[in-house]
Amino acid sequence: MIYYATQRFLLSVLIVIVAISLLTLMLHVVPGDPATMILGPRATPELIEQTRVAMGLDQPLPVQIVKFFGRILHGDLGTDVFTGRAVSDIVFEQLPYTLVLIAVSILWSSVLGIVLGCYSALRAGTWLDTLSGILSVGTISIPAFVMALYAVLIFAVSLGWLPAIGAGEGFFDSAMHLILPAFAIGISWVGYIARMVRASMLEVMGAPHVRMARSFGLTEARIVRAYILRIAVQPAVTLLGTGVAHLFSAAVFVEVIFARPGIGALIVSSVNERNYPIILGAVLVTTAIIVLATLLSDLTVALLDPRQREAL
Amino acid sequence: MSQAQATVSLPEPTVISRILRGLAGNRTGTIGFVLVVLILAAAIFAPWISQYDPAAIMTGPRMAPPSSDHWLGTDNLGRDLFSRVLAGGRVAMLVAGASLGAALSLGLVLGLVAGLGPRWLDNLLLLLFDALRSFPTIVFGLAVVTLVGPSLFTVILVVAITSVPIYARIIRTQAQSLRNAEFVMAERAMGAGLPRILFVHVLPNVLGPLLILASMDVPLVIATEAGLSFLGMGVRPPTSSWGVILNDGYNFIRNSPWPVIAGSVPIVLVTLGFTFLGEALRDIFDPRLQKAN
Amino acid sequence: MTKTNTVSMASAPFGRRAFLKGAASTCLFAATMPLGSRIWAQSGQTLRLSAYADIDALDPAFYQNGYNVDVMNCIYTKLIRYKAGREWDWELESAEEIEQVDDTHIRFKLKQGLQFSGDYGEITAEDVKFSFERAILHDSPVKSDWGPLDHVEVTGRYEGVIVLKEPFQPLWTIALPYGTGHIVSKKAVLDATDDGGNFGMTPPVFSGAYVLAEWKSNQYVRLTRNPAWTGPAPGFDEIRILPMDDTKTAERAYEAGDLDFTQITLSSLAQYRQDPPANTTIEEYPSLYYVWLGMNLDNPALGDKNLRQAIQYAINVKQVVDAAYFGEAEPATGLIAPGLPGHRDHSAIPVEGDLDKAREFLQAAGGPPSQPLTIDTLNASEWTTMAQIIQAQLAKVGIPTQINVQDSGSFWTLGMESEGDRWKNMQLVLNRFSMLPDPYYATSWFVSEQVGIWNWERFSSPEFDKLHQKALSEIDPDERAAIYRQMQDIMEQSGAYRFLTHEGSPVMYRDSLEPALRPDGRPLLPRFSGSV
Repeated sequence: MIYYATQRFLLSVLIVIVAISLLTLMLHVVPGDPATMILGPRATPELIEQTRVAMGLDQPLPVQIVKFFGRILHGDLGTDVFTGRAVSDIVFEQLPYTLVLIAVSILWSSVLGIVLGCYSALRAGTWLDTLSGILSVGTISIPAFVMALYAVLIFAVSLGWLPAIGAGEGFFDSAMHLILPAFAIGISWVGYIARMVRASMLEVMGAPHVRMARSFGLTEARIVRAYILRIAVQPAVTLLGTGVAHLFSAAVFVEVIFARPGIGALIVSSVNERNYPIILGAVLVTTAIIVLATLLSDLTVALLDPRQREAL
Repeated sequence: MSQAQATVSLPEPTVISRILRGLAGNRTGTIGFVLVVLILAAAIFAPWISQYDPAAIMTGPRMAPPSSDHWLGTDNLGRDLFSRVLAGGRVAMLVAGASLGAALSLGLVLGLVAGLGPRWLDNLLLLLFDALRSFPTIVFGLAVVTLVGPSLFTVILVVAITSVPIYARIIRTQAQSLRNAEFVMAERAMGAGLPRILFVHVLPNVLGPLLILASMDVPLVIATEAGLSFLGMGVRPPTSSWGVILNDGYNFIRNSPWPVIAGSVPIVLVTLGFTFLGEALRDIFDPRLQKAN
Repeated sequence: MTKTNTVSMASAPFGRRAFLKGAASTCLFAATMPLGSRIWAQSGQTLRLSAYADIDALDPAFYQNGYNVDVMNCIYTKLIRYKAGREWDWELESAEEIEQVDDTHIRFKLKQGLQFSGDYGEITAEDVKFSFERAILHDSPVKSDWGPLDHVEVTGRYEGVIVLKEPFQPLWTIALPYGTGHIVSKKAVLDATDDGGNFGMTPPVFSGAYVLAEWKSNQYVRLTRNPAWTGPAPGFDEIRILPMDDTKTAERAYEAGDLDFTQITLSSLAQYRQDPPANTTIEEYPSLYYVWLGMNLDNPALGDKNLRQAIQYAINVKQVVDAAYFGEAEPATGLIAPGLPGHRDHSAIPVEGDLDKAREFLQAAGGPPSQPLTIDTLNASEWTTMAQIIQAQLAKVGIPTQINVQDSGSFWTLGMESEGDRWKNMQLVLNRFSMLPDPYYATSWFVSEQVGIWNWERFSSPEFDKLHQKALSEIDPDERAAIYRQMQDIMEQSGAYRFLTHEGSPVMYRDSLEPALRPDGRPLLPRFSGSV
């Protein structure tokens, strides 16, 4: 297990390096120039050139990439030449907002999704199961921004129950500001997780050892608790591991619509400004988190089910 | 995964009747089948269903609510929303078909190369797949769109590239497990070439399950298109797409709620249709397939 | 500016005033207090509003855009400031008097007793000299606001003379009352920087009614009262500016009660007018922006002037503007908005266009181009709407077009030679520039020097360049206005421009608020009063 974990960890580091190098390569050919974008219409050519040099954009691409990773080894993501602030400060200032948003979204949607999934599986084939199926599938692919939009129009603007924008300050205020965005992101996951849990529960319920347990006279509730749920939750863990990337995507939209601070909003605005150091810093951190989440979920699954370890 | 030996060779009469029988016995499967047929029909026959050109401006008052003239009302340029929704359906099906087709073929090639090729190439490709998957799709999309400029082609490109790793990985696993399967080894020993093994044994085994997976990815593709359009990076105006309708509707939600409804309902229907159909097909052919995802 | 609204104070909710016991005592207390400190009674009053962009510069000599200046307006003082109201004019702020002695000399005298924050003492003429000259000394991107500024001569502790190399009218309209006119402490800046250059986002000193209390990037800018401020007390204890790059988001935030004042979009205006949110005043102001369709003169497909004129005449500006702005904006006649000197009453080409003439020109050009012309546009709703209407109008006379939607990063470098060869392929481009209240600011982007930088049409006219220089030093206002009108005529005749609109700048705010706005609807924050 330790060997497996180490191997997986090193691989993850490699993945991040490849991903960031790919991105740098791509950004390099994107039209638009940070110096012109951010310095505004009135920057002199000399100033633009100075800025480009300060950002290291005058150097050949491989040098830029190597330097970038060299700095990272020292825990330095570089400096935003326009505000003079450290990129790591800017990124880590925004990151908690996104992480909290994602965590809350996952939490409520998993709880509801697992409950709904179990219920559907135990009542498989009834009209209640069909209804919950339609509801959960129907919400899966409503884009997060549509959900966010409806949520803000109904609950913030029309009813005035909840705040429409920002992240709030203090615990209570922040929590109030979280409700609508977390709802918008989480709703599609309820369906996903419910479907997943339902499917694997049905599978496990048909498995020999469960049937045996049943024949021994164990009550249905105990079987569900003891055997089925633990195994059925596995795919949900896998799903969440691979789903973190999707959650970050959804956070991009939700942060834009709710004018929330966060890493998604930061990426969008820095892409528009072509502020490469911030894009790279923010994407690096995001990618690292996604890879880490995948890693953790794979390790969890491997811990629960040793057979999975071979499928590296 | 190695258990997935249920041979799914493409349409033979028995397969079709098996599908139909399977669907008939499955409530959600029937719903899905009907929805998909309706959506495809609407996309194919769009120009004959609606009397308006989806790009024609000022066909009526702007931001009008539904009426007998305009079944879903009009948008901010006075274009008929119903015909724009239909045209958007064509775009959606085109994007889904083209990008999933491209992702499948590319994923098939890369997956086979990774699965049957030398070890180092396998590792390299795996690394690349994982790297691509570790970006949030939309971040990758932003980068690609700023690179090539927004258009229908770009949307297809983004979706194709982000989907390749998923398919390639599945095919790789399949190919590897088959490579070591006894009957394949036996054939190899008897001197059968790689191409024969590929076409006779590997492809038929993976194609069916992959197609089912792809059909379940259709909603995801459409949501990606809508998302890119929402960030102003979708298809080129005046082309209609559900994402564009949503985006315009979002901008003018104060003026009329209808465009947002007109844009989001088809997305929900497509999701329901393809997911239910895909799940039903999966149940019919291979109840264990979900493990591969 | 310092008027306190005791009535609305009394009706303000109790909880907001932390250290006063009852409404009755408030009124009494307030009425007997000296003017300056009276507003202290409105403890807890925070003004919340949105800004299109987060701040990215706080050094006035190096400001980058109007959103920076909105904040600078609060934290620094300046000799003169814009008057709030419907007409462009200025009034004294920290200057006791100021006068144009002759074409190149402006004499000023500071009020006595104005204080910097911290231990930096009184504001003196030496600080004014330092503040004004450093933009030029350190080669600021916005040094051109000062035009031909030579130096500032200090003639007394509070007195000095601004010396120009040659006459420069925009000094009064965009230098002194705007960004670069703000005054910082020489000592403080020299303490904070090695050479007195750009201090970026960390102001070492404040001289205005507020201080920067907190800046959380992409979240808010929080300004609180400056205890060292001796001028009339500002109307609010705290100002909170929230960056929101989508005005529709700001509208929703206002409706949900998260903002007290906001710009609104023209497309929502009619709805708001009909059905305004509770306790809300809606006001419309003209804006100074100018929007136009430009044509790249150096692109082979647009080389024939007849074709360009055909395009000019084929466009019905009224229809384009009505569609994009829901009938809430007026067609423009040129670059310069109504209310500024040099505004043209009419354009040479009728705003409705003329299809017959367009077809004639097209015939003279040898028919429509064989390949569709591209229209480049930014990916915002108004722009793509305009592009699609223009596409439909051009199609009517037989000119095929294709719309290229660009994200802001790609769009704003389209015509720049420093960005590779993209400028060569650019054909038609929908463009919008922001504007300061002096016509010189508009025409300065279209001189020959700007070709390949911001002059994307690559329009180059020696006569235009000469007039631009001449207008800078023209003292007679009527004569100056005439020059600018003539310059816009030249632009239009080149066939490279079809002027579209100046948009508009409607705002909404709580009834109890008394905003102070520039004639273009931009907020003058320290002078907001009333309650929220």
